[in-house]
Amino acid sequence: MRTSAVGIVFSNLNNNTLSKLTSDRTVAAIPFGCRYRLIDFCLSNLINANITHINIIANYNYRSLLDHIGSGKDWDLARRVGGINVISPYQTSRTPTAKLYSHHMEALKNMKEYISEFKEDTVILMDSDSVLNINFSDVIAAHEKSAADITFVTKTLAPDYTAKHPQLMVSTVAGKIADMALSDSYSERVPELSLNIFVMKTNYLRKLIADAEAAGIESLTEMMLRGYKYANYRTYSFGGYVASVSSFLDYFRCSVDLAKNEKAREELLWKKDAPIFTKVHNSTPTVYHPGAEIADSMIADDCEIEGTVINSVLFRGVKVAKGAVVSNCVLFRGTSVGEGATLNCIVADKDVQITDGVTLSGHENMPFYIQKNRKV
Amino acid sequence: MSCKKECIAMLLAGGQGSRLYDLTKQTAKPAVSFGGKYRIIDFPLSNCINSGIDTVGVLTQYQPLALNEYIGNGEPWDLDLSRGGLSVLPPYQGGHGADWYKGTANAIYQNLNFIRQYNPDYVLILSGDHIYRMDYSLMLKQHKETGAACTVATITVPIEEASRFGICNTRADGTIYEFEEKPKVPKNNQASMGIYIFNTKTLIEYLEIDEADAKSSNDFGKNVIPNLLANGEKLYAYPFSGYWKDVGTIVSLWESNMDLIGEHPTLDLSDKDFRIFSRNTARPPQWIAKGAEISNAMISSGCRIYGKVQNSILSGGVTVEEGAEVYDSVIMSDVTVSRGAKVYTAIIDSDSTVAEGAVVGKEGNGKDNITVIAKGTTVHAGADRR
Repeated sequence: MRTSAVGIVFSNLNNNTLSKLTSDRTVAAIPFGCRYRLIDFCLSNLINANITHINIIANYNYRSLLDHIGSGKDWDLARRVGGINVISPYQTSRTPTAKLYSHHMEALKNMKEYISEFKEDTVILMDSDSVLNINFSDVIAAHEKSAADITFVTKTLAPDYTAKHPQLMVSTVAGKIADMALSDSYSERVPELSLNIFVMKTNYLRKLIADAEAAGIESLTEMMLRGYKYANYRTYSFGGYVASVSSFLDYFRCSVDLAKNEKAREELLWKKDAPIFTKVHNSTPTVYHPGAEIADSMIADDCEIEGTVINSVLFRGVKVAKGAVVSNCVLFRGTSVGEGATLNCIVADKDVQITDGVTLSGHENMPFYIQKNRKV
Repeated sequence: MSCKKECIAMLLAGGQGSRLYDLTKQTAKPAVSFGGKYRIIDFPLSNCINSGIDTVGVLTQYQPLALNEYIGNGEPWDLDLSRGGLSVLPPYQGGHGADWYKGTANAIYQNLNFIRQYNPDYVLILSGDHIYRMDYSLMLKQHKETGAACTVATITVPIEEASRFGICNTRADGTIYEFEEKPKVPKNNQASMGIYIFNTKTLIEYLEIDEADAKSSNDFGKNVIPNLLANGEKLYAYPFSGYWKDVGTIVSLWESNMDLIGEHPTLDLSDKDFRIFSRNTARPPQWIAKGAEISNAMISSGCRIYGKVQNSILSGGVTVEEGAEVYDSVIMSDVTVSRGAKVYTAIIDSDSTVAEGAVVGKEGNGKDNITVIAKGTTVHAGADRR
């Protein structure tokens, strides 16, 4: 059944803390979990709830994102009605300078006319750096039932939570958001982290954009911080696994955690009737040669393994030669690890070559990153 | 409206594959899984698109449901085109009644109107039961250069097996002077691969002659090719070298899967410039637990391995639980090998379960004792299948 909702996905805005991984790619195109990119989780969650009209707002470094999405057919989104729509950066008469939009509200203002044409009555706005498998049909049902102006998808914070940069946190009284702040750590005052997934009526979004224009505000967060006391903002507290990839260290920890943590894998990747879709590569299955030793690792297709792999995440086409030992590593597509090489706590970007006998080690609190195409 | 194509392919995918027993009870042979993530039909379809042939008629008849669902509109092979692309051609009812396809030649005969739509100069005839990678454009090039009426692709087979094949006896210039279907005493070891390129005019002419002959069994190898030769048409052999295997029997299907692994795999599918495309299902990456032992195996996405896997090919979504052991086997999708279960030299079809402690096959079984478990079977402990 068709759902009367439309998705708007922000591919990159508000993020400069993942610098290493985003030097050549937008956040949405960051590889995650062996065979996915972050955008796959956004798209899959939407299509699993029959939301088949999806707009992706790109601003910079989006070539790899476009390459990944293609026509959208791998998500069944190559459609005549709705389907996928990448909104690439452009200038309008309202933005006469050569500056690209850097805030959500700025981008939304730019696409105001387009939003005015949406036929769907509900809209889901989301960033692409929260990795989760969520049932949006449930979220929309909760939103309808509560008659909220905006429903914020949130996660209850652990008391030891700290982040590298301020994030939007909220607390509720009788389900309604009563307090909201930008903060970088847990506080009793605002114990729920906003996952930057918002559900609202399309008309409410139109009104929000008009208000932001009138007030000259470019930030969606600022609009919310100003408005929450007067509006009916509510939360949908998500209890499942969430990987919040807000820094390079977070990224490393979440990736390796996925290899170790069965519950995380079950909730994110193996959820019944909610598969995560990704671009089809037509690669061959993975080959394990005699002598291969694998423990607690997640491995994509097209790999060739003769050595040892422990607690690691291997993307497509990774080769681990005889006698090599790879532990606590995240190796992107096409990494090759030479004979007798030893890697620990390494994130190797695409097509890195580790030659025979090389030993490299990071620390679990300071993983070592190797740039794309480097030969070590 | 259709448009002219230089060469179109007709893929015979209606065979029952009765020598695959339980594996083809519910499925046509071309839809049988192969090599972890493929189906047999992926090979000819990928060969077509890799050879620049973008119009393919797929002739189906026996148990077509799984096959039809699998090929769909041809999208995985880039054959979802508005001019050409893939068309499924089942037997149909016409003004003069309805007929099943009586033989390979009759199947093409009944679809001559499909061929005429594209007004091709050449028609490539393929079958859906071989594992090989072949660039048909090279064969077509030879066909055009020699000016043949028909070109037959041939492969060198061991002479002791030659009597299982159609054998082409050729002159030094490559022309065929005799075609013997399964000869008792083969004169040479050049076997027909069941791949023909015909000039369209010749094909139509001889299919009409064949159809008019009430005694004909309407088969290319038995009737049409010998008929062309008898009438003095120019037939050439196109010798193909490379991996080619007829996977029409349990043993050959098992052997061909095993050719993908080992120290020197004879079947290598990793050439990125000649990829074998297949319909992909969204499965999570494979997960290998601590304590798993894997050696010489090919494993697909969605597998979860806690036990031991040796010399085996695993399709998507297979679970090998703790203490389970799998040796020398081909395990198709979504099979569970439960705790303590053992599998020796077997082909287990999809959605089956080997229950806790159950045993399939017997230690030391070789290729002459391959145990086949049908789709959706549960093998219980104590009711072992050997």
